[in-house]
Amino acid sequence: MPWIKDRYHALRMLVRRGQLEADVAEELEFHLAMRTDEYIAQGLSPEAAREKALERFGSVRTYQEQTRGIDAGMARQRRRTELWDVVARETRQALRSLSRTPAFTLMAVLTLALGLGATTALYSVVDAVMLRPLPYAEPEQLVLLDSPVPGFAANAPWDLSEAGFFLFTRQAQGFASLGALDARNGSLATETGALRVDVAWVSAGLMEVLRARPALGRLITPDLDAPSAPRSAVLGHDFWVRQYGADPRVLGTTIRLDDVPTEIIGVMAKGFQLPDAATVDVWAPLRLDPSRPPENSHWVRTLGRLKDGVTVAQAQAELATLTTRLPELFPDAYTESFMRETGFRTRVTPLARHVVGDADRVLWVLLGSVGLVLLIACANVANLFLVRSDARRREVAVRSALGAGRWDLAWHSLTESLLVCLLAGALGLLLAHGALRLLVALEPSGLPRLREVGLDGHGIVFAGGLAALVGIVLGLFPQLWTGSDLARLRESGRGLTSSRRSNLVRGGMVVAQVGLAVILLAAAGLMLRSYWTLHRVAPGLEARNALTFDIVLPRTRYTNYDEVNRFHREFLSRIEALPGVTSASLSTLLPLRNFEQCAAVAAEGMPVDLGQLPCIASPVVGPGYFKALGIPLIQGRELTWDDLDQHADGVLVTKTLAERLWPGQDALGKGIRGNGSEPPYYRVIGVTDDLRAHGLDKPPSEAVFFPLAPAEGLPLWGPRRSVSVVVRTGTSSPEPLIPEVRRILAELDTAVPLANAQAMERVVARSPSVARASLTLLLLGIAGGMALLLSVVGLYGVISYIVGQRRGELGIRMALGARAAQVAGLVVFQSLRFTALGIVLGLLGAVSLGEVLSALLFEVSATDPLVLTGVCGVLVILAVLASYGPARRAARVDPAEALRSE
Amino acid sequence: MRIDLLQGTLDMLILKALTGGSLHGYAVASWLQRTTDDALRVEEGSLYPALHRMTRRGWVTADWGVSENNRRAKFYTLTAEGRRQLQEESSSWERLTEAVAKVLHARPAAQGA
Repeated sequence: MPWIKDRYHALRMLVRRGQLEADVAEELEFHLAMRTDEYIAQGLSPEAAREKALERFGSVRTYQEQTRGIDAGMARQRRRTELWDVVARETRQALRSLSRTPAFTLMAVLTLALGLGATTALYSVVDAVMLRPLPYAEPEQLVLLDSPVPGFAANAPWDLSEAGFFLFTRQAQGFASLGALDARNGSLATETGALRVDVAWVSAGLMEVLRARPALGRLITPDLDAPSAPRSAVLGHDFWVRQYGADPRVLGTTIRLDDVPTEIIGVMAKGFQLPDAATVDVWAPLRLDPSRPPENSHWVRTLGRLKDGVTVAQAQAELATLTTRLPELFPDAYTESFMRETGFRTRVTPLARHVVGDADRVLWVLLGSVGLVLLIACANVANLFLVRSDARRREVAVRSALGAGRWDLAWHSLTESLLVCLLAGALGLLLAHGALRLLVALEPSGLPRLREVGLDGHGIVFAGGLAALVGIVLGLFPQLWTGSDLARLRESGRGLTSSRRSNLVRGGMVVAQVGLAVILLAAAGLMLRSYWTLHRVAPGLEARNALTFDIVLPRTRYTNYDEVNRFHREFLSRIEALPGVTSASLSTLLPLRNFEQCAAVAAEGMPVDLGQLPCIASPVVGPGYFKALGIPLIQGRELTWDDLDQHADGVLVTKTLAERLWPGQDALGKGIRGNGSEPPYYRVIGVTDDLRAHGLDKPPSEAVFFPLAPAEGLPLWGPRRSVSVVVRTGTSSPEPLIPEVRRILAELDTAVPLANAQAMERVVARSPSVARASLTLLLLGIAGGMALLLSVVGLYGVISYIVGQRRGELGIRMALGARAAQVAGLVVFQSLRFTALGIVLGLLGAVSLGEVLSALLFEVSATDPLVLTGVCGVLVILAVLASYGPARRAARVDPAEALRSE
Repeated sequence: MRIDLLQGTLDMLILKALTGGSLHGYAVASWLQRTTDDALRVEEGSLYPALHRMTRRGWVTADWGVSENNRRAKFYTLTAEGRRQLQEESSSWERLTEAVAKVLHARPAAQGA
């Protein structure tokens, strides 16, 4: 009996530890006694003999200590090897016993691997997105500065204005540095034509804020950031490798960036990126001009680094004071009434919080869901272990009788469960790795820092720790209710039926599984309804059969309205000539993608304080735009090329805006303008139906659609070189047009890059509200599906087991005249009892957790009766199906045989 | 005159002492003293750390037993590994003494030769 021997051995080692010192003392004393005897025999007095023996021996204390030290080391070493031996032997034994029941082992490992893998994958996402600090030096000092304008747009804070940026840079004491940023597409001239590149136009301060380091050359310094400085640029590392083959000789060469000669002065350190992890191909100086007259135009994205010891609240307070001085310092740009009406202020947000945004709620909900899946998986495996331990009752009973204590038995089951969990953990890591790769490849929008997501040390440690924890719980679990050794032996004598208590535990676990599955399925169901509701929202445009892409005309060769618009007109007419194309047009803002630019719009005859005017989306659109994008007009007509040629003053507005500005009146012919309230005005020539350009979850947008060139006497913001083109096809899918369009573009001008070519349907799908809903739905759906599968398997297993146990009883019933159908009904009834109890508990859980979920839902209540009823229905049906097999088996019980085996 | 013992040489001498069979520490000390005519200066106590160290290395094993005068004593027995160790150490010791002897008996080198 090796486990008994182990215990005694361990005990002996413990005793020996105390014995160590005594042994050494005794050995030395023996030596001294022998020597003393010898000297006494030579005729010395006992005292003198003892003294001489001691002298001959040397320092007793030194040798005692040395000897004892060596012995202690020896004992330690032996304990270690013995422990290792025990572990190795137990592991071998557990492996043998697991391999004797391959079906059990496979089932347990697979089930746990699913749970552990899902949990690890989600944890890795949470870790990368939320827990890990931003990849900059001392990231906790980094903040974002912006300006909430609650009086105008509750959830859309503005960036800073140039005037504000310079004011804060000069005067705010709490910041070590402030940096400005404007990330845009640009075009880079190459031998094979224009290449669209992602350019980060940054101030020199941004390099300090983010503590950027070059891989080669130097970075953007204040002298290069001066308005009059020669053009220079720093290449992003990836771009340098991809485009220039990592050739260091690019330093000092000149490229044409947006058609302007620009010197390459450096290469950014590998992996260095903007906080939102957007790709940056080229870093170029923003060259803000402090001498420009101040404007109330808020486009300067501003990041700051707090000085050591300065808190966010302190910085915030300081900026609040400076902000109140804006009207006094820049009376032309900021009026007191503007400040008052809009509630304009300056806000300091920790950069990490800004980057994570509202993804944290989604992620915690998802992590919670996979945690529940893991619990269900554990319950399943715990049941498997129970069945197995029941099957081994006789073996266990015999061992107990032979003296194996509860601890020995616990140790056995612990080794087994740890082994199962470690195998499952390893498999789970593989699963998690695959799942994360898949997630990153899918590029769900609405998940920040996605490129940092992957399985790393944190994830591996998490999976290992979780596997060990689950292993320990599962291993010690069966010990919690097994009775005394005697009870166990008694039970095993009585024909190996399992105890009432263990059946109770079994049933309890099935009930818990069903309950957890109800919670998860309810969450998935609610998300599904949300998603559907969101999809049923009419965006107000026809996304099918429309292709969109962006082009940017180089500033150097397209300097005025005529040149720009001539290009647009030629380009669009050639596209419209393509077979299958019904119409093509363009605009500066694409609904559901970047409908952000806005202007203060004034209506004729409405006395308003300029500062009070709300900022209204003001895209510039080409002729035929509404037809191309499928936006229906409820009144009037759209702009034509003739209007453009004549510099006509026609504009279109959305129904929402028309109803607000001119309630109950005919909007056609009304005067409206941006950037001022004095005549002349544009005239409304058409009104569109409701258009949800800002997001499907937002109310219909207010917008004014301006022509490509301004009407006589009216200001407009320059010729539109950077536009999104929309191409509508008759019936065919629009993507195959992309190469054709590229060809046409190259024929017209090889310096014009084309980017973001995608079907309009994809634009809608990637818009934040839809993307977040679909990501959450996808992951919750996977979690819910796993929960459903696992709990049905668990239910099936337990019902099968119970039928097996009740064979005798069922046999008696049949012998007494019960019909097969009645017996089968009994089994199904038992399954339904578990399910019903689980459903009740699950519903209670779902309702109480509804609060957490409700923020993620769109126009669906967290206690939506349809969803909850549906979930219950599904579970009841599955419970009946799961008990179908066992019920048939029960109905086929042969009474004679069942009674014989009893 | 007594000779100081080189580091490590004591191990060899103890192993040698144990080739005749199991001995307790006192017996090892007495044998060394007798065999060397008391020429080696060894503190008797220093035998014990050496014995225990060799036990740990597996060159000898230690067991409690009863001495010739009926006292409880710890007896050390040479293991096969200890025997191999002794062979190795004594052959390298012989090579060393041989080499040293050659040097001592050689004619001194002449200047510039």
